Amino acid sequence: MKVEREELKGTISEMKRKGYDYLVKITAVDYADKLEAVYVLRNISESKDEIIEVDMPATDAWVPTIIDVHLSADWYEREMGEMFGIEIRGRRAGRLLLEKWDGVDPPLRKSFTWSAPYRNMDSPQ
Amino acid sequence: MPVTRINIGPVHPSTHGVIRLEVDLDGDTIVDVEPHIGFLHRGVEKLVETRMYMQCPPYMEKLDYVAPMAFNEAYVSAVEAAMGIEVKERAQYLRTMLLELQRIASHLFGIGTLCNDLGQMFTVFMWAFKDRDIVLDLLQEAAGSRMFYVNMRLGGLNQDIGPEFHGHAMKVMDYMERRIGEYEDYIEKNPIFMERMRGVGVLSAEQAKNLGVTGPVLRASGVNFDARKNNPYYIYSKLNFNPKVLTSGDNFARYKVKMLEMRESIRIVRSVLESLPGGDALGMPVKLRSPNPANRIATSSRELPRGEVFMYLVADPQKPYRLSIRSPNFINLAALRHMSKGARMADLFAIMGSLDLVMGGVDR
Repeated sequence: MKVEREELKGTISEMKRKGYDYLVKITAVDYADKLEAVYVLRNISESKDEIIEVDMPATDAWVPTIIDVHLSADWYEREMGEMFGIEIRGRRAGRLLLEKWDGVDPPLRKSFTWSAPYRNMDSPQ
Repeated sequence: MPVTRINIGPVHPSTHGVIRLEVDLDGDTIVDVEPHIGFLHRGVEKLVETRMYMQCPPYMEKLDYVAPMAFNEAYVSAVEAAMGIEVKERAQYLRTMLLELQRIASHLFGIGTLCNDLGQMFTVFMWAFKDRDIVLDLLQEAAGSRMFYVNMRLGGLNQDIGPEFHGHAMKVMDYMERRIGEYEDYIEKNPIFMERMRGVGVLSAEQAKNLGVTGPVLRASGVNFDARKNNPYYIYSKLNFNPKVLTSGDNFARYKVKMLEMRESIRIVRSVLESLPGGDALGMPVKLRSPNPANRIATSSRELPRGEVFMYLVADPQKPYRLSIRSPNFINLAALRHMSKGARMADLFAIMGSLDLVMGGVDR
């Protein structure tokens, strides 16, 4: 199910009222032309999963927080934000969840470049 | 009284891995706990994007080094779903049995270390490790190695079981059944153990769902969800199998769920062995080039010993384009903060031990 990011929080609260009260995972995928945040929700009593996808341009990457709907979103949002460079709006910017990354690109974006093999052999140290 | 902040870890015998806990204390009462993770971050999700599909299982196994086969199976099943590969019937039975053996081995590890954390120094731990070793012998006979198996292939397994396996497994199951009774006797008649387990780290059903905890932690709080029952895979729908659910939501319930699950696993192993069909269980050779994906996006949900793993795979013809792994340890650790507020400092590791965390899966 595709949702606009402005409607994301409303949709997820609405689904929670309909019984989808368990958040399985928040993650993201970097398709070269866009970023997509993925929310997996579950209706435990009926054993049904629903996947909500939110598209956004890579240059303007943000999603609203859903932490006040699902408390479990806390770590998932922080992880996604750090690994994909997605801003989570509406929550206090806290400490980094994972260790600090000193590179330029967020690690799980496709623009992240791997170091070349046999590197650093000419440097003095 | 002023709040005292103490640091525990990153290297500490009771953390079972590399994690730092920042604990705020008021006297002996926990005001707040903040776990710092990331010390074991290997970037597996990024790494697998550069590997062929069947080069990834060794990475997957290290994500939960106490139940490696189960994590690997979750990944392989996601690839199978993407490629549209059917698992052979005999392989389905064997995988079910191996996963349950893995569950017994993993729960023994969890209970042994939990008792260690509670100061029941080494008796249960040594028993549990000795018995786990016997289960590992079985796994070695079936899969070819003791710790990291890498025995899942697309559509099947790397090898079938030998003619002697049936007898060995039945014997081990009888032994394990007797031993589990002895564990319960030894542990649950110990008033100190019970005192530190009952009513500590309580999580209500509503909280458990809101915090997203999974596996034995979720079922100990009275939420009846087990991926083996709710989204059955392999032959679980044919088995007469019931998820173990308790309602008190405390440390003791989380321990007890594991004990009950081991008994259930023994039953499953027996009934699988009795109804094992003939035929071929071998999967595709590793070097075989994978076909083009039938589905770009595939998911798999598997009940591991520690909880549910959810794999979200975006498939390319040869490699994963993106693999997102929902590890049970990650989200169970996130709940630690909410569970331990108001508890005593000494109970922190009892709570953490009852969550049965493996740090390899937290950081990925």
